[in-house]
Amino acid sequence: MDERYEELAALNALRMLEGEEQRALDGACVSDKELRALIAELEQATAELALLVPPVEPSVGLKKHIRAQIRSKGGTAAFGISRGAILGIAGWALAAGLAVSSIWLWNERSKFIERHDSALKAIAAAIPAADPTEEKKETRSLEDELKSIRAAYEKKQAELNTEIESLGKRETEAKNRITELTAETEALKKQDAEAQFQIASLQSEVWEYRRCEMAVVWDGRRGQGVIMLEKMPRAESGKDYQLWVVDPGKPDPVSAGVITLDDKGSAKTVFKPVAPVGQIAKFALSIEKKGGVPKKEGQIVFISP
Amino acid sequence: MSQPELNDEELLQRAGRRDPRAFEQLYDRLAPRLYGLLRQMLHDEREAEDVLQDSFVQLWDRAPGFDPARSKAFTWSVMIVRHKAIDRMRMLGRRNRLVESAALERSVLDADSAVAADAGQETAERTQSVLAALRELPNDQRQLIECAFLKGLTHHVIAEALNLPLGTVKTNIRRGLLRLRDLLKGGD
Repeated sequence: MDERYEELAALNALRMLEGEEQRALDGACVSDKELRALIAELEQATAELALLVPPVEPSVGLKKHIRAQIRSKGGTAAFGISRGAILGIAGWALAAGLAVSSIWLWNERSKFIERHDSALKAIAAAIPAADPTEEKKETRSLEDELKSIRAAYEKKQAELNTEIESLGKRETEAKNRITELTAETEALKKQDAEAQFQIASLQSEVWEYRRCEMAVVWDGRRGQGVIMLEKMPRAESGKDYQLWVVDPGKPDPVSAGVITLDDKGSAKTVFKPVAPVGQIAKFALSIEKKGGVPKKEGQIVFISP
Repeated sequence: MSQPELNDEELLQRAGRRDPRAFEQLYDRLAPRLYGLLRQMLHDEREAEDVLQDSFVQLWDRAPGFDPARSKAFTWSVMIVRHKAIDRMRMLGRRNRLVESAALERSVLDADSAVAADAGQETAERTQSVLAALRELPNDQRQLIECAFLKGLTHHVIAEALNLPLGTVKTNIRRGLLRLRDLLKGGD
């Protein structure tokens, strides 16, 4: 390490630095971890020299002065006594007055020292045997403060219990809602699983229908479907297109109704076979008598593969 | 409830958690040594007590920030007290007036009278260690350190008072304190 900074650190430990030198050291410390460690070590070593100084007992009342000053600064609840408690106990007020007077007098310059001493003596004389009484009253004050803190704590605890109970209710409600939603989700999944959609694109081997398009979407669970036709030629006069569902379990195709085309030769309609069907194998479109027939008679123009 | 088994660091930490009894117990332990130091620095009992009072109020305020891993309670307290004392000397304009007296009295640290009768064995041993380390230093280094420690003078003032080159004062203080640190850490 640079000897200059070692020197500054040593002088700093003895609090000998002033002005520019102190600023130089402070600035260097910011970015130099090693220098900060050296400063700390030298301060420790210097402070230990105080062990070589003969101890001397300070005056008996100094501790009380310190206690009073800490109280007077406020924000030190552990040392402080509540104002209400102080006002409620006249003896404690006298003791506090004594302490405040002592502090004020203590901070005066030498010209007031004699007044200070005489005032202390006068006050001490006015309150005979004040110390034991003060201790008891201080104890009572501390007990009162403890009770006050305990009451505040219990109140806070009750509020928290209420809040916890409220949160518990909300949690139960949320759990119930989750259960309902889970059940709904499961039901929807089941529905999806049960749905048996079948999509078939039908082809025609008849020349006139080679450019026509026909598709069927079949929902096996509901037993109904949708048929879509495009570019279909019009049926001959006195004839209709009729849709059939070919169920391998039945001897004959089951009628799904007459399909009516629009002006453009298109159709899109929901159909439902006239009788329940099981496993679906094929769909077929035939030309039948006007209004349809219960049993297929005419030419089939479309059939699903 | 008394807490006789707690060491200084534990008491100071408790004070940091706002335990007034721990703080008062710490006061009982440290105040005599700190007051002795202040009397030697300030040469005025009332000023010394005044500074001691300010120092302990500051100890209470700063106790929550005390870190026992970085410092002992005693040395931490000494640093606060010395800083307060030097501030007071500056405020009173006394720090540099000593030069005018042209008789910078010899400041001596000696353990013979430093160990209180009721001091613990650990304190007594540490005191002897510090004295032994100080005696290891060359006279010129030791004298400057003792003078600076007890009088709170700047190196400029000491150089002027002792009629020494400023560089010599700085160098001797640097070498002396580095050596003292090494000796107290157990080094040769």
